[in-house]
Amino acid sequence: MKTVNIEFTLNGAKTKVTVPANMTLVHLLRKELGLTGTKIGCDKGECGACAVLINGKSMNSCLVLAAQVDGKEVTTIEGLENEGKLHPIQEAFIEEGAIQCGYCTPGMVISAKFLLDRNPDPTDDEIKTGISGNLCRCTGYTKIVNAVRAAAQKLKNAGGGGETR
Amino acid sequence: MEIGVKLYGEFKKYAPKDDDRISLDNGGTVAQALRSLGLNDRDLSYAMVLVNNIRVKFDRHLQDGDRMDIFQPIGGGAEKLYRYVGKPVPRIDARDKVTGRTKYSTDLSFPGMLWAKVKRSEYPHANILKLDVEKARKLPGVEAVLTADDIPGHNGFGIITPNWPVLCRDRVMYMGDAIALVAAVDEETAERACELIEVEYEELPVVTSPEEAMREDAPQLHEKGNIMHTMELRKGDVEKGLEEADVITEGEYSTQFMDHAFIEPPGGVGIYDEEEGILTIWCGSQYAFRDQLQIARAMNWDPRKIRVIGSPTGGAFGGKDEITVQIHLALLAYHTKKPVKLWWTREETLIVNSKRHPMKTKFKIGATKDGRFTAIDVDVTADTGPHDTIGAPILNLALESSPGPYQYPHSHFKGRSVYTNNAIGGEFRGFGAPQVVWGVEQEIAKLAGKLGIDPIEIRKRNALKLGDISSLGHTMQTSVGVTETLEAAENSDLWRNREKIIRELNKKHPGKLHGVGMASEWHAVGLGVGIPDFANIDLEIHPDGKIVLKTGAIEIGQGNITAYAQMLAEALEIDMERIEVAHGDTFKTPDSGSVTASRSVLVNGNAIIDGADKIKKRAILEAATILVEDPNNLVYEEGAVRSKSDAEKIVSIENIAEVCCRRNKPLQDVGANIMAISDKDFGDGLPHNYYTFITQVALVGVDLKTGQVDVLRAVSAPEMGKAINIHGVEGQCEGGVVMGQGYALYEDLKMEKGQVLTSNFTTYIIPTAVDAPDIETIIVEVPEKTGPYGAKGVGEAPTVPITPAIMNAVNNAAGIRINDLPITPEKVINALKAEKR
Ligand code: FES
Ligand code: FES
Repeated sequence: MKTVNIEFTLNGAKTKVTVPANMTLVHLLRKELGLTGTKIGCDKGECGACAVLINGKSMNSCLVLAAQVDGKEVTTIEGLENEGKLHPIQEAFIEEGAIQCGYCTPGMVISAKFLLDRNPDPTDDEIKTGISGNLCRCTGYTKIVNAVRAAAQKLKNAGGGGETR
Repeated sequence: MEIGVKLYGEFKKYAPKDDDRISLDNGGTVAQALRSLGLNDRDLSYAMVLVNNIRVKFDRHLQDGDRMDIFQPIGGGAEKLYRYVGKPVPRIDARDKVTGRTKYSTDLSFPGMLWAKVKRSEYPHANILKLDVEKARKLPGVEAVLTADDIPGHNGFGIITPNWPVLCRDRVMYMGDAIALVAAVDEETAERACELIEVEYEELPVVTSPEEAMREDAPQLHEKGNIMHTMELRKGDVEKGLEEADVITEGEYSTQFMDHAFIEPPGGVGIYDEEEGILTIWCGSQYAFRDQLQIARAMNWDPRKIRVIGSPTGGAFGGKDEITVQIHLALLAYHTKKPVKLWWTREETLIVNSKRHPMKTKFKIGATKDGRFTAIDVDVTADTGPHDTIGAPILNLALESSPGPYQYPHSHFKGRSVYTNNAIGGEFRGFGAPQVVWGVEQEIAKLAGKLGIDPIEIRKRNALKLGDISSLGHTMQTSVGVTETLEAAENSDLWRNREKIIRELNKKHPGKLHGVGMASEWHAVGLGVGIPDFANIDLEIHPDGKIVLKTGAIEIGQGNITAYAQMLAEALEIDMERIEVAHGDTFKTPDSGSVTASRSVLVNGNAIIDGADKIKKRAILEAATILVEDPNNLVYEEGAVRSKSDAEKIVSIENIAEVCCRRNKPLQDVGANIMAISDKDFGDGLPHNYYTFITQVALVGVDLKTGQVDVLRAVSAPEMGKAINIHGVEGQCEGGVVMGQGYALYEDLKMEKGQVLTSNFTTYIIPTAVDAPDIETIIVEVPEKTGPYGAKGVGEAPTVPITPAIMNAVNNAAGIRINDLPITPEKVINALKAEKR
C-alpha cells in the first residue's frame, strides 16, 4: 500500500505521521490518532458529523484525504477547549440545552465556529444556513440556533469579533 | 396558648410527637407556629395554611384554641416547590459531549482490534443454493469467516418472535438479510473478503405489498402464511352509532417506510475474555438486558457471562431496541478471541435496520349536528416485512391510537400486519400512532368543516376526561389533559392571530398560499397490560458525600439520566452535583427495562423515589443510634437527619454512610417500581394506563408553481403530567416536530421490487436547519398523582400529530387534501390541478 509522510498542525501541536495515501482525514484522526470527538455519520459528505476546521475553514473530514492537510492547520472539537476552559460556543450549547444524543454536536460546534469567525453577528437565517450541512435528528435545531446566537453575544461581550480565538 | 395543628403530605414529618397541639407564646404568629414545628425557610415558601378553615398569611396572629391545617400543595406552585424538578437544568452529560470526550460504542478501539463486515443478501427473496467462503478465508489478514453453521444456539433474534435470522442458511427474505460474517485486520480487508464470498441463489418471487401478500396465489413467506398478526377490538355497536349520526366522514390513507436516521449508525465492539469466560459487547442500544438475553439465546450461553454496555447511544428513536450488531459481534469475538469492531455504514443502516411500517388505513366516523362523535370504524393494514421483531404490538398500538383522545360511544377497530419482502417494519418513535393519526386527524378536520364547527371546538366537545370510559372501553384512570392542550393551542399566538398572519404572508409572497392547521393525539406511555413493565435502580450513599444512582436505562439522547439526577436530588434534598449516574451496563447496573414507549421517566422516576424513601428511613434509624435519640423524634431534611427538639442533634447522610460502612452495612438500597396498569385487559398488551396528550399547530406556505410546502412556524402543547426538565421537554417537542415534518414532506424510503432506492442521505432526505420551522412549545401540566413529581412521559407524542397538522394547514391554505404520505411537490401540483377542475 502506498503511504505518504505528512506534517501538519493539529490543535496547535506539530504532528508528523505516515499514512496510507488513500486514507481520509477522519480515519486518520479517529483510527490513528485516537481523536474520536470527530464523528462519522455517513462517511460520504452528507451529514457534517465529521466537520473539522482546516486552515480555519469548516470541512467534512470524510471527504478530505489525510495527505491533503500536509502543511495545514487542523482544529478538531478536542482543540476548542483552552486549558480546561470551554470555548464560548461550547458553553452556549450546554446552557441553551442544544445537546441531546450529542453525536452531531462536535460537527455543529465546528460549523458554528467557522460561521462566527467570519460573521460575528449573524441573523437567524444566516445561522441556519451556516449549520445546514450538519444533520441533527434529535433537537429540531431550535436550541442549536439559540446556542449559536447566544455564543455570538458571548463573544461580542468578551470584546472579540473576527477570529474567535 | 394552645393551638391545634394538623399537617398533611410531606409536612407530616413535622407533626408533634403523640399530640395534635402545640403551645405558643400569646400573640404568636402563624410563622412562629410553623417554625416551632420545625418547618424551614424552604417549607415556608410553599406551605399553605388554613386557620379555622380560612386560608391565612403567615403574619396572622393566632389565638388560643385556633386550629391550623398545614398543607403542602401537591403539584402546585412548582416553581417554589422544587429546586431541580421543572427547571431547565443543564444536562449532566453535556460537557463531555460538547468537548468530544464522550465515548460512544463506535468510538472505542482496543489493541489488536479486528474489523468486521457482514455479507448480505443480493436478492430480496431467494433460496441459497450454495455458499462458498473458502476464498474469503484464505485472503491474508482475514481472521474469521462465519456462517449459519457457526451459531451455537438459536439462529434468530426478535423482541417478540425470534425469527429474524442471525445468519441465513437456506433462504434470504429481504435485502438486509445477513449470510456471513468476516473479521479481518482492517476494514478494507474485511470488505474485500465479503466480496470473495460466493453465494449461489435461486431467485424467488418477491412479495412487494400486503395486498399482494394476501392474494390467494401469493408465495407464502412463512409456515403460518403471510398474515403475521391480526387484532380486533369493539365497543358498543358501530353500525348503530353510524345510524345515529347526522354526518359521516370516510377516508383512506397510506404512509411510507420511514428511517430513524439517527446520526450514529449502529455499531460497537465485542471482546471475549477467555480466562474469565466473559463476553463483553459495547453497542448502541435501548435495552442492554434484553440484548444480553438475545445474545445468550443465539450463543447458547449463560446470560450472566455476557456483559452488554449500551450507554451512551448516538440517537435511537426505537431503531436500536432490536438487535443490530450485538450477536454478530458476540460470534466474532468468541471465535477470534480478539477485540472486534463492527460498524454499519449509512447505506447498510438504511437497508438493514427496521423502519416505520407503511400502513394503509380506512376511517369512518359519524357525528351529530352539534359535533358529537357517535361512532368510529377503523381498518389498518401494515407492511411488516419478512421478520417479526416487534411488529405485532405496533399494530396493536396503531389501533389503540387510531380514535384519538376523544369519546365515541361506539367503536370498531380491526387490523392485520402482513409479511412481505420489503424492508422490515419495526419499532420507531410513535409506535404505530403516526400512521393512523395521519388519517384520523384529517377526518376530524373534514367533519369540522362539514359541520361548520371550529376544528379545536369540535375536538373539545369530544375530549376525553379523567374517569371517562375510553373509545376502547377502559377507564381513563390517570391524568387527562386533552382539553388543556387544546386550549393552550387555541390561545397560542399562531392560532389566535392566524387569519392576520396568513393574510400578511399571502400579501408578502404572491404565488404562495399560506394556511394554519392543527391536530391532536393521545399517546400511550408504558408497555401495556400483561407486559413486564418495571424498573429497578440502586442507590448508594458514599462517606465522601458522593451519591451514586445506578440504572439499567440507556441514555439515547433523550436526557433521562439528567432527569433521574434531578428527581433524586429533589427526593434526597441535596445538591445535584453530588450525584453520579451509572447507566446501561448489565454488569454494573440493575435492570430498569427498555428505554422505549415514553416510559423511562415515569417508571424509573418512581423507582428512584422508592429508593430515596428507603434510604431516608434507614438514615433515620441509623442516626437514632448515632445521635442517641428516639427515631420518632428525628426528621430527614436536606441531606441530613436532625432532632425535632434539639437543634444540636444533626448528622449528615455522608456521616451516617461512614458509620454504616464501618459497621459493614453500607448505606445503600434498591428502588423498585412496577407500572400501574389499566382496569381492562384486551390481550396482547392492550390497553395502556398512562397517556401523553398533545396538540400541535402548523403554519405552512404552499408554492402554487412548484408545489413545495414549507413549514414556517409550529406550536406544540404537550401534556406530560409534569415537566421534569424544561429543556428536555422542549427538546423532545422541537426534535419531534422536525421529525414529523420530515415524515410529512420529505422522507420516503422508496422500495422497488424489494430493493431500497434511497440508501443514502442524498436520496433519503431528512430536514436541515434551514427547513425547520420556528417552534414554540407550550408546556401543559396536569400532574398525575401516581407519577414521579406528577410526571408521565413525553418522548414520542411530539412527533405524531404535527404530520396531519401540516396537511390540515395545506388544506387551509389551498383547499387540497393528500391522503398518501409524504406530501411531495408533485402530489401538491396534481391536487391543485384537480382542485381547479
Ligand atoms: S461523516 Fe462526513 S459528512 Fe457524514
Ligand atoms: S443531538 Fe442527536 S443528532 Fe443532534
